[in-house]
Amino acid sequence: MNQPRAAKLTWLLIAIVGALTVFPVLMLVLGSFSEGLTAFGVFTLDKYVDAYTDPALAEVMLNTVIFVIGASVLSTVLAVFLAYLNTRTDIPFKFLFGILSVIPMMIPHLLFSVSWALLLNPSNGLLNLGLKEVFGLEEAPLDIYSMWGMILVEGLLDMPIAYLIIAPAMASFDVALEESSRVSGASAWKTLFRITLPVLRPAILAAFILGIVRSLASFAVPSVIGMPGRVPVLATHLYEMIATGFATDYGKAAAVGMSVLAASVTLIVVYRALTAESEKFVTIAGRGFKTTVIELGAARMPLFALVGVLSFVLIVLPVAVLAYTSFMPYSMVPSARAFSMMTLKHWRDVLGDPISILALKNSLFLAVVGATLGVVLSVFVAYVIVKVKTRAAGILDSLSYLSFSFPGIVIGVGFMWFFVQTPLYSTIWALLLGYIATYLPYGIRPMSSAFVQIHSHLEESSLVCGASPLTTLKRIIVPLLIPGIVSGWILLASMFVRELTLSVVLSRPGTEVLAVQILRFSEDGLWGKLSALGIVMIAITTALVVLATWVGSRFKTA
Amino acid sequence: MKRLLVATFALCAALNATSQDKAQLEKARAEGKASFYANITAVEPIMKAFTADTGVKGEYTRISTTKFVATAITEFEAGKFMADVVQGPVPVLEILKQKGVLASYRSPAAKGYPDWATKDDQIMLFGIEYVGLIYNKERVKPADVPTRYEDLALPKWKDKIVMANPANHATTIAWLVALNENVFKDDAKWRGFLAGLAANKPMFVSSFGPTPAPIESGEKLIGISMPKYIVTKSPAPLDWARGAQPLMGTPRAIGISAKAPHPAAARAFVDYWLSAKSMGILAKDVGEYVLAPGVFPPIDGIDKAKVIPIRELSDEETQKWGAEFKKIFDVKK
Amino acid sequence: MEIRIRGVSKHYFSEGKTIKALDDVTLTIPARKIFTLLGPSGCGKTTLLRCIVGLEMPDTGEISIGDDVVWSRDKAISVPPEKRGLGMVFQTYAIWPHMTVFDNVGYPLQVRGAPRDEVRERVAKALDFVQLAGFEGRPATKLSGGQQQRVALARALVAEPRVILFDEPLSNLDAKLREETRKELRAFLEKLQITAVYVTHDRVEALALSDTIAVMRAGSIIEIGTPRKIYFDADHRFVADFIGRANLFKARVRGEQGGHTVVDCPLGTIACQRRDFPAGGEATLCLRPEFIHLVRGEAPAGHNIVNARIETLTFVGENYETEIRVGEELLLARVDADASIAVGDAVSFSLDPAHCLLVAA
Repeated sequence: MNQPRAAKLTWLLIAIVGALTVFPVLMLVLGSFSEGLTAFGVFTLDKYVDAYTDPALAEVMLNTVIFVIGASVLSTVLAVFLAYLNTRTDIPFKFLFGILSVIPMMIPHLLFSVSWALLLNPSNGLLNLGLKEVFGLEEAPLDIYSMWGMILVEGLLDMPIAYLIIAPAMASFDVALEESSRVSGASAWKTLFRITLPVLRPAILAAFILGIVRSLASFAVPSVIGMPGRVPVLATHLYEMIATGFATDYGKAAAVGMSVLAASVTLIVVYRALTAESEKFVTIAGRGFKTTVIELGAARMPLFALVGVLSFVLIVLPVAVLAYTSFMPYSMVPSARAFSMMTLKHWRDVLGDPISILALKNSLFLAVVGATLGVVLSVFVAYVIVKVKTRAAGILDSLSYLSFSFPGIVIGVGFMWFFVQTPLYSTIWALLLGYIATYLPYGIRPMSSAFVQIHSHLEESSLVCGASPLTTLKRIIVPLLIPGIVSGWILLASMFVRELTLSVVLSRPGTEVLAVQILRFSEDGLWGKLSALGIVMIAITTALVVLATWVGSRFKTA
Repeated sequence: MKRLLVATFALCAALNATSQDKAQLEKARAEGKASFYANITAVEPIMKAFTADTGVKGEYTRISTTKFVATAITEFEAGKFMADVVQGPVPVLEILKQKGVLASYRSPAAKGYPDWATKDDQIMLFGIEYVGLIYNKERVKPADVPTRYEDLALPKWKDKIVMANPANHATTIAWLVALNENVFKDDAKWRGFLAGLAANKPMFVSSFGPTPAPIESGEKLIGISMPKYIVTKSPAPLDWARGAQPLMGTPRAIGISAKAPHPAAARAFVDYWLSAKSMGILAKDVGEYVLAPGVFPPIDGIDKAKVIPIRELSDEETQKWGAEFKKIFDVKK
Repeated sequence: MEIRIRGVSKHYFSEGKTIKALDDVTLTIPARKIFTLLGPSGCGKTTLLRCIVGLEMPDTGEISIGDDVVWSRDKAISVPPEKRGLGMVFQTYAIWPHMTVFDNVGYPLQVRGAPRDEVRERVAKALDFVQLAGFEGRPATKLSGGQQQRVALARALVAEPRVILFDEPLSNLDAKLREETRKELRAFLEKLQITAVYVTHDRVEALALSDTIAVMRAGSIIEIGTPRKIYFDADHRFVADFIGRANLFKARVRGEQGGHTVVDCPLGTIACQRRDFPAGGEATLCLRPEFIHLVRGEAPAGHNIVNARIETLTFVGENYETEIRVGEELLLARVDADASIAVGDAVSFSLDPAHCLLVAA
């Protein structure tokens, strides 16, 4: 694409993405500087003074740093490990990895956290009871309600996203880079640490930073695990600010949120600087390229067992807990008596509830339409970010993260303050736009990985301006982009099915969505209904994922 | 003669009232629907009954307490407040009243409610979000069940209690303060109780909603929770600790929007809401404690309990006490 | 360092079918010579190379480099690639994008724990050798294809390997650069006097570079010999056909006459290079276009003289490529660029028996 055209496109996208992400944040900025409870009021700095002179803030910040870095390190390391095993070794049952990478994204984080509490709480956590029995211990050896518990659960929750970013990069990795290291005299381990991981640095860093941004905004784990463990982090600190009292001051919460935003944007800028050089390098997959499979030999089964345990922990366990809970009349530790009391009551209640059914329809609509629109926008944005690489492209990249990196409980209000000024307020379109704006990075990341692999052919064929024959687009670019499109669509759709933070503020009668319905059950402590609806939600997402994969594979062969 | 006169007068008044009711209902039907913003849960059966009985569609928007004021005021100031009727804790409605969101309305259906239920022209109280000690009746021996709040500070409950976080859960904060004002009436004793409770290292959750689950499952044995869960979570083995001390809670209130899109429907809805029928549904289905005369939730012994409304704290007070409780309960593991 | 390969086989399973990548290969690669494995894609040459390097494990057999057995099924020996002391240049060069030229080249020394000064000195020497002195600090991503290729060579050489292996190292270069690099490579290797194993599917490359060529097909070695032997005196029809452009005819052997083997073929009766084929047996006659010297006009019949007619004529720069018709057969031949000849012209040529190659049918 020629320069002026690329610049025009970049600015057009900046306008679109900016409109989507800047206004809510701008509202929050206004709110944080205004007296009163809305975005518009007399200018004041009191909210900042109040928020940042809170003596508790230092501890909260320290905890937050430990929590987000810990969780992000865990999720990235796990993702690298799994991606490596899947793409590079002869580990059996590879299909498991695909499932491992998607299912945990469909499980509402709240439920996932609760099921871990059920397992590892110090009073009667199943695992603790088992360990006490086996080792004859007096006290429960493990306590989920602690910093390590939070890191563990959040790390597991963020792992799938990291995996979806790292696995494609690893799959397209030129194996000769490793082989030449082996021939040069480096052992497999040395090769891994001196060649493989450094070459994959852009993807690994992207996953790590996304993890940090995600765990900064996360609320389920800090509230379900951190609160009982009395480990305050930023999310719970913000919640405390909002929840203590009735005249909730979101402006003040936004004032604290601003530092999170600043941190996230800084991280993204640093990330761009760190990867600017290496991302330019496109590993040429040579002709006759074939991925050699690393034979794990004796380690094959132990490693597979490890993956098995992970799958169990990430998929089987939470889903089993959900299924179990959905059949229990009330919260019970599994026992013969518990199983004898199983009932279909919650299922009947949920499936017979017209609001739940409406929520299901709305969520499905938002997932399908939202993910599709989101992917279309992501294609253009990723193109500019990866291929145009001007300063303006950098702005676009940072813009796309704007509302994504704002703490969830606050950004929803930002969107409300914004949409109430528009005729979209209280319609499903407000939800749709809000979703796309907030989760845009989930569409952009996989798409950029796909674009990195497309050489400069694209410049000439100029996808965007349609200046060249449509066939180039159809026969070359689309097939190359399909993996990115499919994983972007899957990420967005599964995100949208369980979206809560925006929905809880923007959903109104007629625009109920699944996650809000689930939250209501949780607020009322109705775990049974919550679990039944949660399973419905997982089933829907699974169907969408299967559909997307199927459509993707059809396009590829066409 | 005098008696007859009184009777005739009463009859006329009654007739007048019904004809007034009828006119209002006609108008409400013409308006089509009543939109209800509420933080109270599981009121769908009432909405259904309202629609069926009046022919006016009842539409329920649930807004959690933390987002209630922000949502209402944002919409109100943008001229998009869609609620006809709002329901929430008294402090929330007080804030809305100050902002001019509420209209005056005295419902005839409030007859028989205690005098204090009619707070002023705008706000009508109809229930109490009553808090009590809820325990697992399969795991706590009858002899061990507390009979006084003080018992909760006994060392035998160490690591066995669940409660909402006293540093930020507004209702819990107000309840703890009310405990001093209505039960202990002695600052030192009250602080002693708090210290004892803190020493028992209760598990903190974000609100009342998550309190019953750990009790049901046996993770904890007792909690500062709400007796209504005995109804909503039936057949869970929950029961409430009875005693001579009163049960306390923040009053639940209802009011009409000053800019109600459907004003007649709004009034019709409030009338319906305060009627014995819908309060009965609320008590029976959701276990709510309501102020309608003679209506009680189906919880054994609750009709004999003394349930009192507590003083609402201002936000400054809530925050002050929240910070104070945070210190008192800050027992590191 | 001599490489001995004994009875090496390797199977792949693909889509339910077993593919024999290597079929009982036995081969000795002589020391300090450039040895080329040549064959069409899928013939197993790369697999064999990778087995030597240790990037792939054969199913059976034994491989030794010098006196060390590096792989043996029976003795259960499997030396990992990093312990074999080899150097290799990959098809994609595999230059590590996150390192500078210095780090790329110095890597084999660094991972073996060589002292800093020694690394610096030997990297400088290696870069000097490949004529990239002064490029040390350059990021690997800022190199042209030819430069990458040289960095890859320097890296393969820097640790003074026992054997250096090349996996189609020129195939990613454009035609002109490829020719230059080929010459350079030949010069480098001659200077080094190192055992080199070279894999390619490009016959010109193989002929120009090698001391010895082994032609492979379907996992087996068909023929081994010097470039001249492979080109002029191939024993197998496949080899003769593969190594250069060739006109192939079915021939029936008449017998021996005057030190030549005489055959009947569509061109007539032709005296060929002597071969031990039984009289009456079938063989294939192989004529390379460059040995068909066309003369204008019809020639009187005689020994090894053939008359033909120009069918097509294509100008390719240094000469014309032409198809000439002899009876039912079309032959490929060359005509000098300045020859005044046109389509339809009658031509004739005389064949030197030394250039008439007979191979098994």
